[in-house]
Amino acid sequence: MICFMFPGQPLSRPVPAAGDPDAAELAAMVARVAGLDIAGFRWLSGEGSENVKLQVSGVADSLHRLRRLRRYEGPPGLVAQHSMGIYAALVACGALREEEAIEVTWRVGMAMTPLQREGEYALGCVTGLTEDPLLALARNHRIYLANHNTSRHFLLCGKKGDIAAAVEEAGAIGAFSSRMFDCDAPLHTPLMAPVAGELNEIFAGYRYRDPWSRLMNHLDQRFLTREEIAPFMLRELMAPVYWERTYRALRREGVTTFYEVGSGESLRKYNRWIEVQGGE
Amino acid sequence: MKQLIIDSLRIEGLSTHDIETDAPLFGEGLGLDSIDALQLVVGMENAFGVVVPDAAVGTKVFQSVRTMADYIAQHAA
Repeated sequence: MICFMFPGQPLSRPVPAAGDPDAAELAAMVARVAGLDIAGFRWLSGEGSENVKLQVSGVADSLHRLRRLRRYEGPPGLVAQHSMGIYAALVACGALREEEAIEVTWRVGMAMTPLQREGEYALGCVTGLTEDPLLALARNHRIYLANHNTSRHFLLCGKKGDIAAAVEEAGAIGAFSSRMFDCDAPLHTPLMAPVAGELNEIFAGYRYRDPWSRLMNHLDQRFLTREEIAPFMLRELMAPVYWERTYRALRREGVTTFYEVGSGESLRKYNRWIEVQGGE
Repeated sequence: MKQLIIDSLRIEGLSTHDIETDAPLFGEGLGLDSIDALQLVVGMENAFGVVVPDAAVGTKVFQSVRTMADYIAQHAA
């Protein structure tokens, strides 16, 4: 069985496919719906942060890859997503149209931007430590584990000063690597609460269709029904991503082939790590 | 060493002949990243019993196939 898995926001700008009619059509759609010039990586109307540009470009890139993949693989048996990969994943399973996915990505990105005024947030990427010491670290520094990607790959999120201290301590207690990154919003943490009302309004404003491919959610590894999609979209922005559990659940469902439908290969590499480590 | 890289990282369609001994492994070379680095650390530990303690040492060790081989030669029991 085939699974299309959709990664979250890319770390750098996806390179648009020059001369490709699908890419051109999607770029025109992004310009019309979100006011973003993908080729020039600049706003045509309004103002948005660099992160919103990356979020919208990332979804457009996933949609482009999805179009090509569907032509030779057909519809997938299963769809999975990591973080903001949910919007393109909803297109893959027929619950949203491409234009709606681009619009909702842009609206969510813009709705999260004011959180920058609440405080300076940052991410801490920690590899090599297990979950228990990181949970203790998170408690001690009043920060959150935002991504449980594998048994040794985690993402922390919280106030910048707290993340800086936690990242330093992670290195001191044996992390192989620990680095800090800036971010607009404290994604996948309860710190998103100030914009929850606005996000809820956005998600409730779309008409979702019944998924034609099963869509596994990364929080509890159940398949989303049409009615559950909007509540999940809000909940997932305020709760951690559990990728390892999701990958193992997908394998138990009988998935043998995974396609990463987006830029980068982080999900493929997490899967490789999980497979090599084995066990449950 | 080249086979260890291919096996650890499960790189399909790549043979040992495709990897240059002195080419950079990260960035422009094989394009490896921090997820790959930790996978190589585990691979080296399992195959040779050699420990790469942190990313700072890893940056030096994983410059190329040659630097990996040199590190193993110096640290293998």
